[in-house]
Amino acid sequence: MVRLKSRYLLCGVCVSDRRNLSLLDDRAIYTATKAAVARAHGDYGAALSSLGFSVKYLNAHTGIVFLRCRKSHYRLIWSALPFITSLENRGQRVPCFLNCLHVGGTIRTCQKFLVRYNTQQLHRMLPLCQSEAERSEIRKSVLSCTLKKEADDEEEDE
Amino acid sequence: MSLVDFLQSYQKMSTAKHRMRDKKMRNQPTNVTYSSQGSSHWRNGGDTHTGRGRDLSPHPWGQGSSHSGHAQGGGWVRGHQREGHGGYPQALPTHITASAFAKARAAEVNAMLMAVTKTTGSSHVFGALPKHMRRRAMSHNTKRLPCRLRDMANNMLEKSQKAGQKVKKEQSKSKSRKARRRHGNMLLEFNRRQRKNLWLETHIWHAKRFHMVKRWGYCLGDRPTYKCYRACYRAMSSHCLLQDMSYYCCVELQGPGEQLLAALSKLTSKETGPTFAAAMCVSGRRQGSVVVYRAGQYPLQPLGPVTFLWRPTTQGRRGQEDQGSQGSTHRQLWIWAHPTMKTDLLPELQAVCQCSEAVLPPAPVDLPVPQPAPTPTLAPGPGACPEAVPASSSGSKRKWSSREPEAAGPPAKKLLGYSTISATTPVTWRSSTTGIVISDLTMEMVRYRLIGPLSHSVLTETLAPATHCDATGKSRPSPFWWPDHCRDDCNMSLHQQQAGVFNMLKGVYSTAEVPAGSVLGLTVDDPRLTLPNKRSKAVSDIRKAQGVNEERRRELMLKGIPEPLSQSSLWDRSVRDNVTHNKMTDQEVNRLRNDVLVPGSRLPTPLQGRVPVLLVQQSGKSQGTEMGSWGAGWDLLLPKAWGMAFWVPLVYRGVRIGGLRMSLKHAQNKGEPHFPHDYPDCPAGARFQEEQEAELLAKFRRRPPAKRTNYIKHGCLAPFRCPWQQLVEEWELIVKEGGGGGEEAVASMEQEVTPPQSNFTVLRNRKSLRQLSAWCRPTSSKCQRARNPGSTPQLNRNVAASLLSAHGGSSLVWIRLSLVTKGQPEQHALVCVPTAEDLQLVRKEPGCTGPQEPLHTDHFKSRVKRPRKKDHNKPGTTSSSSTKPENKQSDPASTSVPGVNPGPDPSSSSSLTNPSSSAKQSDPASTSVPSVNPGPDPSSSSSLTNPSSSCTSALTLGLWPEPLPSVTSHCSRVTLGWVTQGDFSLSAGCGEALGLLSLTGLLHTLLRQPEGQRGLVLLRNPGSLQYRFAKINIEV
Repeated sequence: MVRLKSRYLLCGVCVSDRRNLSLLDDRAIYTATKAAVARAHGDYGAALSSLGFSVKYLNAHTGIVFLRCRKSHYRLIWSALPFITSLENRGQRVPCFLNCLHVGGTIRTCQKFLVRYNTQQLHRMLPLCQSEAERSEIRKSVLSCTLKKEADDEEEDE
Repeated sequence: MSLVDFLQSYQKMSTAKHRMRDKKMRNQPTNVTYSSQGSSHWRNGGDTHTGRGRDLSPHPWGQGSSHSGHAQGGGWVRGHQREGHGGYPQALPTHITASAFAKARAAEVNAMLMAVTKTTGSSHVFGALPKHMRRRAMSHNTKRLPCRLRDMANNMLEKSQKAGQKVKKEQSKSKSRKARRRHGNMLLEFNRRQRKNLWLETHIWHAKRFHMVKRWGYCLGDRPTYKCYRACYRAMSSHCLLQDMSYYCCVELQGPGEQLLAALSKLTSKETGPTFAAAMCVSGRRQGSVVVYRAGQYPLQPLGPVTFLWRPTTQGRRGQEDQGSQGSTHRQLWIWAHPTMKTDLLPELQAVCQCSEAVLPPAPVDLPVPQPAPTPTLAPGPGACPEAVPASSSGSKRKWSSREPEAAGPPAKKLLGYSTISATTPVTWRSSTTGIVISDLTMEMVRYRLIGPLSHSVLTETLAPATHCDATGKSRPSPFWWPDHCRDDCNMSLHQQQAGVFNMLKGVYSTAEVPAGSVLGLTVDDPRLTLPNKRSKAVSDIRKAQGVNEERRRELMLKGIPEPLSQSSLWDRSVRDNVTHNKMTDQEVNRLRNDVLVPGSRLPTPLQGRVPVLLVQQSGKSQGTEMGSWGAGWDLLLPKAWGMAFWVPLVYRGVRIGGLRMSLKHAQNKGEPHFPHDYPDCPAGARFQEEQEAELLAKFRRRPPAKRTNYIKHGCLAPFRCPWQQLVEEWELIVKEGGGGGEEAVASMEQEVTPPQSNFTVLRNRKSLRQLSAWCRPTSSKCQRARNPGSTPQLNRNVAASLLSAHGGSSLVWIRLSLVTKGQPEQHALVCVPTAEDLQLVRKEPGCTGPQEPLHTDHFKSRVKRPRKKDHNKPGTTSSSSTKPENKQSDPASTSVPGVNPGPDPSSSSSLTNPSSSAKQSDPASTSVPSVNPGPDPSSSSSLTNPSSSCTSALTLGLWPEPLPSVTSHCSRVTLGWVTQGDFSLSAGCGEALGLLSLTGLLHTLLRQPEGQRGLVLLRNPGSLQYRFAKINIEV
């Protein structure tokens, strides 16, 4: 109806050195993305894309980022994402790249996708485990999130 | 940086909005980072503000799963991050473990699941439904929802309905309306509702038409719901106003006459006027009124005013009375007192009469009541009833219960009389030594007050003297009192005389012509029998009555009602009980009316339709020069249960009905003190003042603060009460200062802080009052010369001092104030002493409005506001910002307190001592009023008595906090006293007020006023700055 439609980009931040994840925060990603757009599309593109652009969610542990932008110009950001090679935070430069996993029309679809994606990853990890301890750990975490889901559903029913 | 940003934006966002947003974002995941620095609060993109306040609430999923993750360095809990965030970069391992990886994913999955499954925003179920499945009015009709969601929606609906309704509504619907309105159930309900506050017999009539108030243990009509203020005044001054005064308590004293008088003399003093032993009253011809004190304490500890009535001992009765062992000296006395006074009066009477022996109520018949005749059996069977009213007796017999225990009778019983006391509470006390019996006749009788010059016409039209019994009725033994009464010729001749006098009242022009306090006993027919079809106005019909027996009428007016005629059977408990028990119900009267052949003709009088009544004349305005005998009227005393039977016929004669408010106005227009209001020295008056203060304060607090009057700015210390004690003490000090000299000023100020605990009294010594009254009038006025031809000494210092020493300094004088020009005084208005300039002003131009009080400054305002501001700041501010306003505000409060008074120098506390002492020293030399210039000394006293340590919690904007500064010298004019009630008087045509002044202050003022302008004071309302000139009238 009468609203500004958005696109939500679900990206994974891939860092070569895991220690640098501690430096990850939404401001760094915001500035890096804006800089990339400016470089790729010039001032006009940067201005267009900066409208309504925000980092909605960031998980430093898993390196997952939700970016939100206007639907009309999301391609500008989308296309500029591969040009990000590093993030800068607190004077430190972290070499990384952003991997766009999903583009959604609502944040809800992105969340749904993320649920599916993460569970898929966990399931994929399970047969590749090397030690028994690891296997049990992963199984536990897999169970924890699936069980939680059922519990949530039950709660909902109540 | 970012924290400050956040705080600013946080404060900008209103709390409600914030709450909404919190609720909406409750289930949404937040950022998870290793570093804590403002990551979540950072305003990215500039369009939305992503700080969701999550840091205030615990992390929903980070807590559940990530506590365990700490082992791998994945401690996500924000608090934990903060304390050790410097060390994390080193702690993070370079490699990645499978378990940490898996845990992080699992946690994220959980968070996302939460966000996806829980619907945001509105709590309705259909929020989860896709748009194309939503339907109109889904929340109202759950059947429009898909089946799987219906249960949930039903739950939700129920919850929301419960939230809207009050919980207690449920139980009232247990019975159907029809069942609830059934007579028996209704009576039960009425009895339940009377448990706390008693109802008068006219309660239901009043409740339909009046605003009812619960006061003194009764439900009383305060004022009618319709507009009738002026109509009621007109009724009082030209026709008749009716009031139900049944809530007044009657205490009956019986015993040997001498013993009674001796006991009662301890309670009163001759100095206040006629006592219980006044000759007119003792004979029973007149009703008297007297102010009662605690035994032997005369000038101190008054209890309040009472009216009393002796039972006459007439020749007609003595014939039978000789059977009683007490003989002719046995007397009976009724004392009528206000219900608030009863709790004080009754123990005092018991102590005085040494009546400690309680007689248990089940045996009230044992009372040594002089029986008029051998008592007939009081409990007739249904067979003994006369044939005229076959259905009546058994039905009515069951219904009326006098004082029987409630539980014993059938459950649905109409309660009459003083039903709230339990059956075992004694109401009668007997003394073995003096032979006096005190019984509490509260609610045993109905008392109606008719006020107005035509009350007698209303009475003569409503009441008809009882018709005689025919021969058959006399001969047969009957359960009713009248046939027995008729058998005696003495009684009959007495009745005829009484009826004659009563008929003579028709020829009286005004009620006031009958001597004040006259008592007329009478036996009348049931007034319902002659109820007119239509309500009409009773008019006096002098023409008809004139010329019939002019001499006798004149004799009645001059000499009053002769003594024997004041006798009535109402005095006998047995007769009263008989009449009460045998009252016909309205239903039976209506049936009689139905059976009458010619509609509208008079009903035949049934045997039980005779009621003994007492008529007591109430005097009108007896003091003052104008509107003499205004507000005179009759009191009608009836046996209980007959209230409504007389009330409706009276109303049908065109009277107006007044409530409590009108009785207050009646007293005010009459210029006489009204009981709880104008008796602040009585315990009941003190209680009333407290109640009134609480009531007014609550009313004041109910207003929005911006709409309240700031009484501090108006220079009014106590707008809701009158601190009499403080006033009296301060005036004593002022006078002492004036006599002593300046050296004592400082010492006296110190004394003021710790006032001596003495009680004030109201001056009621008639001789002194007469003196004062003469002094208060300007000497040039004619009426003073005419009234007091040199009987009172001229006012000078010595006479005043002797008067003062005779009554002690702590006396108040009750006065009436009438305004000279315009103005309408209000309750608790200040009465002030005019300065010499004011008097000059009024001499120059007599029509001047009067001086103005300079506006005071409210230094408590800043202190009042502080706590609220603190609350406001609490959520957001850091420690540095919260301490600041406190410092700022405490500064002016502490420094400006000495300047509270608008006096000439609000300069500083250091300059206090010098000007005050110098002014004091100069005062006696110049022989001006030492306290009239209130500039320096109030400031010193206020700074002393008003320390900044006074508790700020009790502060209300616009009211002075509790330790009041000096009340006399707070304003630019010295306060003499306060007004207890004031209004525009319709009878005088100007504003009139009743109030009390300090006797010391009054004499002090009078001595310093020029002779031509004595008794001139200033009056100022609590919410106004304008002073008005008023004249003092003291009326004896």
